[in-house]
Amino acid sequence: MTLLKSAYQDLEDIVGPDYISDDPSIQDSYAFQWLAELVRPEQSHYMPRPVAVIMPASTEEVQAITMVCNKYHMKIKPISTGWYHWAGPIKDEDDTLQVDLRRMNRILEIDEKNMFAIVEPYVICAQLQAEVMKRGLNINIIGAGASTSIVASACAYAGMGPSTYWMGHNSDNVLGMEWVTPSGEIIRTGSLGSGDGWFCSEGPGPSIRGICRGFLGSRGGLGVYTKCAIKLSHWPGPKEFNVRGTLPAYRLPIHENFRVYTLAVPSWDAWADIYYKIYDNEIGYIFHRQFTLAGADLGPALWLILNDHTKTLNDIEEMVKRSDIKELTEELRISFQIILAGRSLRDIELQDKILDQVLAETGGWKVKRFCEDDMAEFTNVYLQRLGHKHLNFVWVGGYLGSWMQPGTPDFVKKYVPIAIKGLYRDAAGGLLVQCGGDALMGCGSTVAGGGWSGLEQFVSYDPADRESIKAGTKHMEDAITDAISNGIPPGKEAIYLSLGYKDEKIWDTLANSQQPIIFHFQRKIKEAFDPNDIGDRNYPTLPEDY
Amino acid sequence: MEKKKEHLDRIVGAEYVFDDPQTLEAYAKDLSFVLPIKPQFVVKPKDIDEIKMLTKWANEKGTPLIPISSGPPHFYGDTVPGAPGCIIVDLSRMNKILRIDRRNRIIIIEPGVTYSQIQPELVKYGLRVTMPLLPRGNKSVIASLLERQPTLISRYNYSLPEPLRNCGVVWGCGDISYTGHAGNGSYSLDEQWNAGHIPIDPRGPNATDFMRLLTGAQGSLGIVVWASVKCEVLPSIRKLFFISANKFEDLMDFSYRLQRLRLGDELLLANNKLLATMLGNSDQVRDLKEKLPPWVMIIGISGRALLPDEKIDVQEKDLTDLVQQYGLNLQSEIVGISNKEMIDTILNPSTEPYWKLKYKGGCEDIFFLTTLEKVPHYIQIMNETANSLNYPVSDIGIYIQPQHQGVSNHCEFNLPFNPNDLKELTKIKELYSKVSEELIKHGAYFSRPYGMWANLVYNRDAQSTMVLRKIKKIFDPNYIMNPGKLCFKSL
Amino acid sequence: MTLLNYRADALRCTRCSYCKWIPFDLMKSWRFSKGCPSVDYNHFHSYSAGGRLVTALSLLDNRIEVTDRVIDSVFKCQLCGSCDVTCKMCRFDMEPLSALRELRFKLVEEGHAVPKHKSVMEGFRTQNNMLNKVKTKRGDWADGLNLRDLSKDKAEIVFHAGCRYSYDNDLNHVAKASVSILQEAGVDFGILGKEENCCGGRAFNIGYKKDFVTAATKNIKDWTNAGVKTVVTPCADCYYTFKRLYPEIGSEIKVLHMVEFIDQLIKQGKLEFKNSVPMRVTYHDPCYLGRQGEPYIPWKGKEKKIFGQVVIYEPRKPRYNGANGIYEPPRNILRAIPGLELVEMERIKEAAWCCGAGGGVKEAYPDFFTWTANERIEEASSTGAEAIISACPWCERNFIDAMKEGDTNMKVFDVIELVYKAIRKEDF
Ligand code: SF4
Ligand code: SF4
Repeated sequence: MTLLKSAYQDLEDIVGPDYISDDPSIQDSYAFQWLAELVRPEQSHYMPRPVAVIMPASTEEVQAITMVCNKYHMKIKPISTGWYHWAGPIKDEDDTLQVDLRRMNRILEIDEKNMFAIVEPYVICAQLQAEVMKRGLNINIIGAGASTSIVASACAYAGMGPSTYWMGHNSDNVLGMEWVTPSGEIIRTGSLGSGDGWFCSEGPGPSIRGICRGFLGSRGGLGVYTKCAIKLSHWPGPKEFNVRGTLPAYRLPIHENFRVYTLAVPSWDAWADIYYKIYDNEIGYIFHRQFTLAGADLGPALWLILNDHTKTLNDIEEMVKRSDIKELTEELRISFQIILAGRSLRDIELQDKILDQVLAETGGWKVKRFCEDDMAEFTNVYLQRLGHKHLNFVWVGGYLGSWMQPGTPDFVKKYVPIAIKGLYRDAAGGLLVQCGGDALMGCGSTVAGGGWSGLEQFVSYDPADRESIKAGTKHMEDAITDAISNGIPPGKEAIYLSLGYKDEKIWDTLANSQQPIIFHFQRKIKEAFDPNDIGDRNYPTLPEDY
Repeated sequence: MEKKKEHLDRIVGAEYVFDDPQTLEAYAKDLSFVLPIKPQFVVKPKDIDEIKMLTKWANEKGTPLIPISSGPPHFYGDTVPGAPGCIIVDLSRMNKILRIDRRNRIIIIEPGVTYSQIQPELVKYGLRVTMPLLPRGNKSVIASLLERQPTLISRYNYSLPEPLRNCGVVWGCGDISYTGHAGNGSYSLDEQWNAGHIPIDPRGPNATDFMRLLTGAQGSLGIVVWASVKCEVLPSIRKLFFISANKFEDLMDFSYRLQRLRLGDELLLANNKLLATMLGNSDQVRDLKEKLPPWVMIIGISGRALLPDEKIDVQEKDLTDLVQQYGLNLQSEIVGISNKEMIDTILNPSTEPYWKLKYKGGCEDIFFLTTLEKVPHYIQIMNETANSLNYPVSDIGIYIQPQHQGVSNHCEFNLPFNPNDLKELTKIKELYSKVSEELIKHGAYFSRPYGMWANLVYNRDAQSTMVLRKIKKIFDPNYIMNPGKLCFKSL
Repeated sequence: MTLLNYRADALRCTRCSYCKWIPFDLMKSWRFSKGCPSVDYNHFHSYSAGGRLVTALSLLDNRIEVTDRVIDSVFKCQLCGSCDVTCKMCRFDMEPLSALRELRFKLVEEGHAVPKHKSVMEGFRTQNNMLNKVKTKRGDWADGLNLRDLSKDKAEIVFHAGCRYSYDNDLNHVAKASVSILQEAGVDFGILGKEENCCGGRAFNIGYKKDFVTAATKNIKDWTNAGVKTVVTPCADCYYTFKRLYPEIGSEIKVLHMVEFIDQLIKQGKLEFKNSVPMRVTYHDPCYLGRQGEPYIPWKGKEKKIFGQVVIYEPRKPRYNGANGIYEPPRNILRAIPGLELVEMERIKEAAWCCGAGGGVKEAYPDFFTWTANERIEEASSTGAEAIISACPWCERNFIDAMKEGDTNMKVFDVIELVYKAIRKEDF
């Protein structure tokens, strides 16, 4: 794939020579993406190469680039912080221009009173959180963590995290959006379109954002989002995020308005019950099942290792043999984390009391070791800032998520045993990390106010070992079979895998979905906003004759 | 004509097809200034199949359909035919409560289900639905939510369409799809339910948020045949508090603070005229108004689920502390009306006649969204314009409803008038259009552009107009759904 | 080790881009949240640690050839190690910084060195210093100080001034101050004077591994001949080189940075501060003293897998992640100086922003080092400090050079200068 000289020139004219490159090393650094090895031929770590990488500095430049892509029939693929195989070009046969948005990195405004901030695509969650906390405000950081782009999670991708339960999903939190469509129009949604400011995402009349910001978002397949306003929430903590401790386990002291707990329950039925009770009582600020991502068998030892900077993974074999760790592992088996925050001391004390009653009613308990200062303060920093999300990869550098079907806690608890059994089975041969079948992590609620959960199985494989990679791919296929044979729709793995499929296979799946009309509607939306088909198939559509 | 009727008879049954002049007349107009046009028929389908057939037939014939779910009176012109030859699809027969699920706090209802119908049912399950301010008893819950009417508890308003979650839709093009999580499953809601797929997540399906397209659409894209709505736990204790002020500005910072802290449940701001109209009989309004302070903030607190008394206690104490910090005064009574009476009066559906009509028989509403700090400016515009046209400022009811947890605020002016007084009618028409224009010019965001507002709003926003027309073409390519509304004037 | 040894690191890199930032938990503002000067200045992903790992992989797998862009991206990096810290926040199996060095060795070995580095290295080979100065003038700074000459004499402690403090006339008063302090404290030490050699660290970092080995071998020999047991240096680059690289080729000599030595002297009561130094200052952690200044732990071993695929190392591999850098000694000293007020920048210790001079950037990329330094100076200014204090001549030179073009009044000092001011009456 090479770029026509004239096209290169047109693009260079927009951004200047320093901000475009088609050097193969630059191309490769954008083709290289996590998860590629699970879906690409020969377990290659590279997605297809972009024909060039370009870095615009403004909406107008994005618009001009879009027009060039239309002119030369190139796919346009934006990336901001980009941490997935679908952030790169998808099909070998396409000429794809990678638009790296990192120069658009400003926080344009923080409206403290009205509780929103306006940001460009390369502002990451940690940056904005640090700034808004100075004003007593907070943001919903998505599960993928502090390093992610706010614009991406608000406008173009999932958008939930441990704080969604209280702070809302980023699809709820997004206010005005600025969107450069594939046909090159600049669309400003909600109140912004009327010139009335950024504060409202709906209307006038039907909400236009509905065509581009659905469950998943268009993941770069339907134009480029160049700015958005995001709703902020109250932060009843200190204005400075003053962590202490030695890396890697920094610790955030627990302010008097907060409580940080790791809780556990005796059964999955009790797990669902306690979730419902937490929802009904409206306690909690951050609510997440986090630490189990490292596996219910090895996880407890890992977290203690991480909290002692003199230790390494070499210590884990010995540790798991210790009787106290064995006990702790059992105590933590069905566990999750909750951070309570009170608007006042009375409020936090009452929440504490309610939590005790909820625990009593469900047979649950506070896990003592994980509620001690060191672990509680680590939990506090981990979940408040989500700066440790790369721990997803801690075992060996490769992790894939399976399951994660969203649903009510009662629904989720149905697939939990199947997911656990499946991982034990698939890891038995030693090609996947054997950290315990329950490596299930997920939000307390992915819908604001509670009611909706989902657990993702964290499956670790070695990206430097082909056989392990293949086992990862096989696990995903097995998880789909396990789900379907139990009457459950496929989970997250199906989306991962589909990146490697031919168009026809994807279309077959979409056509066989329960309401294929959805994808016909999306085709029509694409035809209306992307007549020259310059967006890639991350925005899924069904051909007319399917 | 006869042929048409035969078709309609076949689809919904002859007894549910109406073309008698009286019925047609009733649907030809509402209390807005939108020009009356008589529909050709009024039909009352009973289910999704009939609606599907109607839509198919309407597409073939090019006959416009106007869905209506709530009972009269209507106010905003959105249900008034925009062209001759329309068929009103009155959904009032579709009033089944399909599911009430306590554990998941979700209900599935048909469009004809009204607030006065659902709330007592929900009480049996220990639930309730967050309501708009004093809706008329026959107001369809689904219609209210689809129109993004503001609800009283901003804390629960994580997103403006809340608590609306999933919808079943017959689109203008005749295709059926479900929005949100339900769009991932089969068309059988029972089947979905039995598989544990509860329609809670509002997003999607897939890359599109179809529900958001339907909100604010005034029925111009499709007909919603069912919807799931999230409920709250029914409080076991409730209390109301009042804070008086001489001017709106005195309450502003405090309102911001409460919103940020999410303290309490109901939170609204009303001027004395509005509150008097809410509380009094027609002949008491004037008196009551005189007795009331110029502005009142109403704050509701509730205790629900575990330890309700302590919840109330903590909220009350926190509120008391906070009020002091702002130099305000927390009252548990105002003009001698007991707390219970207050709760019954203002936190329920309206009694008959509809409260806004009590004072003069007619009322025009002007409403829009804004950030709170701009409200005083808009009040000033309202008052100045009223003065310039000799409309009594003292008659204007003002209602400020924080939404989206305080990020946006519904600002509403109620302009009562005597519909039988031609002079007053002319004046109010002039005032209505002049104020609307002025407000829009000054950045008031008319997110729900009814009637004459549509032109004013869309003329300022060419891009949104272009996008909306593209959307319309996809979901209602023959423009059969409620033509003439919003920016969908003609093909 | 060869680049091939880091192929697994490249394959296990997840492109998470943590290496572009300081640890997220430490972020205090939008403005000072970046960690990697290279990617922040040059933007393309290849200019980050993760991106260079891809370049390494693509080269190893013959997907790409060495182009000018490859050379540019590999060398336009200070090897400051910020990436290494943030990457290892969550990973036990990654060594991005070592991989970046290995990538340079490969390019240099294959004849793809940066032209400007080539000329610096000519000077290095002929004059034994990185500044292309005349070898015989290296000891001039100590003229008249009557220091013991260890090329002829013996002592247990050698003071190694380093290239920059030896030759840079704007700065070599710090070398003088250093020896005065040592004298004041009654330390028995000597210098090698004109026989002092470059430590070789900067040659190592720009990819000339063999030249480094030659220099190191000579230094170790000279020290051994002079009976040296401890080397004390005021230069962070030299410190890192002696401390972390020399043991690899057999050195057992103890290494102390002047700030560590002074910190000890203060604790032992051997230094007395007589004067107040009324100044509001901020301290810049030099990369090679701070996060890269961790103690050396010998290791030779290999990867092993447990629990199926969990990667560990046999024997246990040392974990250089910045946790044990030299952060407190300079701060202890500054806090001990009467009248001095220490205010911290946002990015400190393991999260410090590089001065811009490291990794051969000072030698080859003037715009880039100037920009990097100015970023730091701006951060220092934001604290309200009137001076930025460091413990490395390269940082100081770089700040001074960068400030020539700016309009700041920020002063630059070495910790040693301030100590000197506090213990001596006369100015120097
Ligand atoms: S080098 Fe480390 S921090 Fe950088 S992208 Fe790779 S894994 Fe992430
Ligand atoms: S060593 Fe410093 S400049 Fe080089 S890649 Fe790492 S962080 Fe960037």
